[in-house]
Amino acid sequence: MAASSSIHSGTKAGKSLPRRVWQTAASIKTGVVLLILVVILAAAGTIILQRPMTEADDMQRAYSPQALRILDATSMTDVFHAWWFLGLMALVSLCIIAASIDRFPNAWRYYSRPYKYPDASFRKALHPQKSIPIADEETGLVAAERAIDSLGLKPERVVREDHFGIFSERHRISEMAVYIVHASLLLIFFGWIIDGVYGWRGSINLNEGQTSNEIVLRDGKIRTLPFAIRCDAAGQENYKDGTPKKWWSKLAVVEGGRDVKTKEIVVNDPLLYSGVRFYQASYGGTGKAKKLVITATPNASIQPAGAGAAGIGLPTPAPKEISLAVGETADLDANTSVRFAEFFSDYAVRDGQVYKRSNEVGDPAAHLIVSTKGTSKAGAASFDVWFPSIPEVADNAKAPYLLEPKDLTMGHYTGLEVSHEPGQWGVWTGVVLMGVGLAFVFYVVHMRFWAVPVRDDKTGQTVLWVGGSTNRNRDAFEQRFAELVEAVEKEVRTISLHAPSERTVTTAAS
Amino acid sequence: MTQVKTEQQQPAATGATLIVFVGLAIAFLLFMAFLNVVKSGNLLSETNLLFAALIFYAGAGALYLGFGVTGTESYVKFASLATWAGLIANSGAIAHRWYEAGHPPFASVYEMLLSFVWTLAVLTLIAEKKYHVKVIGTVTMPVAIVGVVLMQLLRTEVHPLVPALQSTWLHVHVTLAMLAYAACALSFALAMMFLIQDNMKTETFLAVTSASSVAIYASIVLTRFEKWGGLSLVGWDAEHKQEVFISRGVRLFVVIPDLGWLMLLALMVVAAPLILYGLARWKKDGSYLAVANRAVFVSILLQIMTLVMFLLRARDGSYPSLDADGLFATSLAASPFILSALVGGIFISLLYLLLLWRRPDLERLLPDATSLDRITYKTICLAFPLLTLMIAAGAYWANQTWGSYWNWDPKETWAAITWLVYAGYLHMRITRGWRGRRAAYFAILGFGVVMFTFFGVTYLLPGLHAYA
Repeated sequence: MAASSSIHSGTKAGKSLPRRVWQTAASIKTGVVLLILVVILAAAGTIILQRPMTEADDMQRAYSPQALRILDATSMTDVFHAWWFLGLMALVSLCIIAASIDRFPNAWRYYSRPYKYPDASFRKALHPQKSIPIADEETGLVAAERAIDSLGLKPERVVREDHFGIFSERHRISEMAVYIVHASLLLIFFGWIIDGVYGWRGSINLNEGQTSNEIVLRDGKIRTLPFAIRCDAAGQENYKDGTPKKWWSKLAVVEGGRDVKTKEIVVNDPLLYSGVRFYQASYGGTGKAKKLVITATPNASIQPAGAGAAGIGLPTPAPKEISLAVGETADLDANTSVRFAEFFSDYAVRDGQVYKRSNEVGDPAAHLIVSTKGTSKAGAASFDVWFPSIPEVADNAKAPYLLEPKDLTMGHYTGLEVSHEPGQWGVWTGVVLMGVGLAFVFYVVHMRFWAVPVRDDKTGQTVLWVGGSTNRNRDAFEQRFAELVEAVEKEVRTISLHAPSERTVTTAAS
Repeated sequence: MTQVKTEQQQPAATGATLIVFVGLAIAFLLFMAFLNVVKSGNLLSETNLLFAALIFYAGAGALYLGFGVTGTESYVKFASLATWAGLIANSGAIAHRWYEAGHPPFASVYEMLLSFVWTLAVLTLIAEKKYHVKVIGTVTMPVAIVGVVLMQLLRTEVHPLVPALQSTWLHVHVTLAMLAYAACALSFALAMMFLIQDNMKTETFLAVTSASSVAIYASIVLTRFEKWGGLSLVGWDAEHKQEVFISRGVRLFVVIPDLGWLMLLALMVVAAPLILYGLARWKKDGSYLAVANRAVFVSILLQIMTLVMFLLRARDGSYPSLDADGLFATSLAASPFILSALVGGIFISLLYLLLLWRRPDLERLLPDATSLDRITYKTICLAFPLLTLMIAAGAYWANQTWGSYWNWDPKETWAAITWLVYAGYLHMRITRGWRGRRAAYFAILGFGVVMFTFFGVTYLLPGLHAYA
């Protein structure tokens, strides 16, 4: 590479430096070298563990401290966000732009001023070509026109000083297709860069009923939105075997104290509001109790504090059903109340104390406090009621009411991914454009046909020179050319059969 | 004249023999299967259909191979008949799976293989009927057989689709991927055929074959050879049909004693032809090549032995582990990669023998170099837009699911690398006029990258794209 480029610059020593830089940027060789670099670095980025996807612990386990330091210093642990990778992508873009600008004028000239009348040297070099003997110029021209017409193309009569010719072409746009593809690639890059600079990604977990406008970004920072999002409900549907089938959340956008938009989102169907998208990403238990339903029956085994004689001799009253959220208090009677004090999703007991073992839902425990106000007979008292009844700490049996758990509803959260991608339009437009461009590049063929009556100086015979050219798929084209030649020969024969009348008509016309 | 006649007579005679043999084998296997069906009373189950497909593909493979070796035209007719029969059974299996799962069969490696083998069979028939590349079955049918055998091992229960996969874009994406990869595979096969027709020396193929086998066994030995000649394999939990994990993401390895030595021995034997080739080049002495060819033959026998030993020992039995106390089971399903590598190694060596012994016949049967070069280019012209659309559909799906169209996940990155390699090919061909050898090498490189993207990334590089 290096040797040939030095030869390249050597032969063009007279050119100025900017000119040489331009030519280097526009050369296909530079493009290929850059692409190879991109490939190598991108491959390295898939083999070396990347932050932040890999946890810091795993990174330390995988590499020695020294290696990790070097990798981190060179950004090899975050290749795709490293300045040198982005710089390389920028260079690739510049190279595509330079190459396109360098070649575009020629292609444009070719496109905007089609070559309609082939001169002698062109006629000599072109392949495929064929010379068909004709009686006179007009016969040839008419035959060529009819033949081209029969192939479904439009013939055009070209006049050059004292020459006539027939020209026909199809799909000239195909010559421009490669620029469409390159432009689309640049558009995709452009959109991607916009997203890189102005876009952001984060996540938000909302408990049912919770409203928030704070998004935790990928780097741990908090981004506050000008509007808030509220989760009204969230849920999961399962297949029979228990694997999740569907996650859904009912979301509402709250702006200026009003609900401005509501939508039930599922995976693959996000909510979009002022450029911010909310995706259903996960769903799970908060590990917190949402609601605890208990039944309370007066404790017959002890004299209820302050109950007096009212309760004696009467049948046991029906159990009272109470629904509590954590921290809530409910009255059991005039003097007694119960408070849902604490909830442990997974508890352990050590030294007469209840501890939280984990945030997972394991062995759950609920702590309720039944308190009685002080009366003349007895002082104020409180009893710790535990579900389940933990021997060291629970006073379940001593409390003035016997409490039984009836139902526990756990809280759920919905996990939302949030993203803002202002450059998306560029990416998708680019993708569509690229699809169109590639279709034109590979499947739309520019074909040109010329037919020119020529007088052979040696033999004196007039022949119709027919030639054709294409920019791709030569085999199919040569077959088509053969069809054209056959059609022209047939037309020439029919015209000469009806020679007398035909000839007079045409000469009269011209 | 008489001599010509006898020459024509002879293959015809052997031709009938092979057809009768294959026919009898198919009939026998189907009969055995039928007995089994009568016992279980369930005819059109997926397993039976796959088994039927395997039998027919194997028959077709034998006949195509017979055609490749002897050049007997009559084999082809029966071979394509068998391919048709296999294809029908295969379609039945796909339909069954689709019906049972309620989604197109693209969700797991097993389902992808099911669709891949089907596409391969269809392409083989198209190439044969439309383009008259009859010999192509010699290459594609063994690949199909390996695919069906792998499926028997990887067979999974119908897993319902997790929420992220319930998208039309997924089906678009995977269908495009299958089409694109099939086109890439075809361009690879055509490029290899081009090299044959372009008079590339047989000993170069020898060196490449030997080097590929060395790469296979070297990577097995380097990554799996344990102390005292053991071979470590991933443990397998037969009850839950999954790999055994020590902790999250860390697999448990069991060590099969002595199998490591066998792999090492195989490595040395497959390296022998390469060394002899090197000697022949260095000393400029062709007699080394004759020895090298014999070494290839010996290496095939040893490779088959290695495969058989591997199959016998890894299929079941309990082995100790270096990571935990006690004995653990393993299964062939836990090591699909090693298994396909071993089978693939034997397959490429056999293809080399085919080339070595029947090169003139192959040259006669294949289209000429120029048209092969052109067809390779055309196939890539088909593959490239498909690759582009596949990536675009995948990006759109990712955007709908994860909120970002590009995550630089290994699979995505490698898909982009594949795209860049083929883009490089097209630029070199269109603007620099690369034709022939260089273009063929490029096409082969492209397919290598495709293979890595498809298999390598799935098994070696972790990422979001865990489904396939």
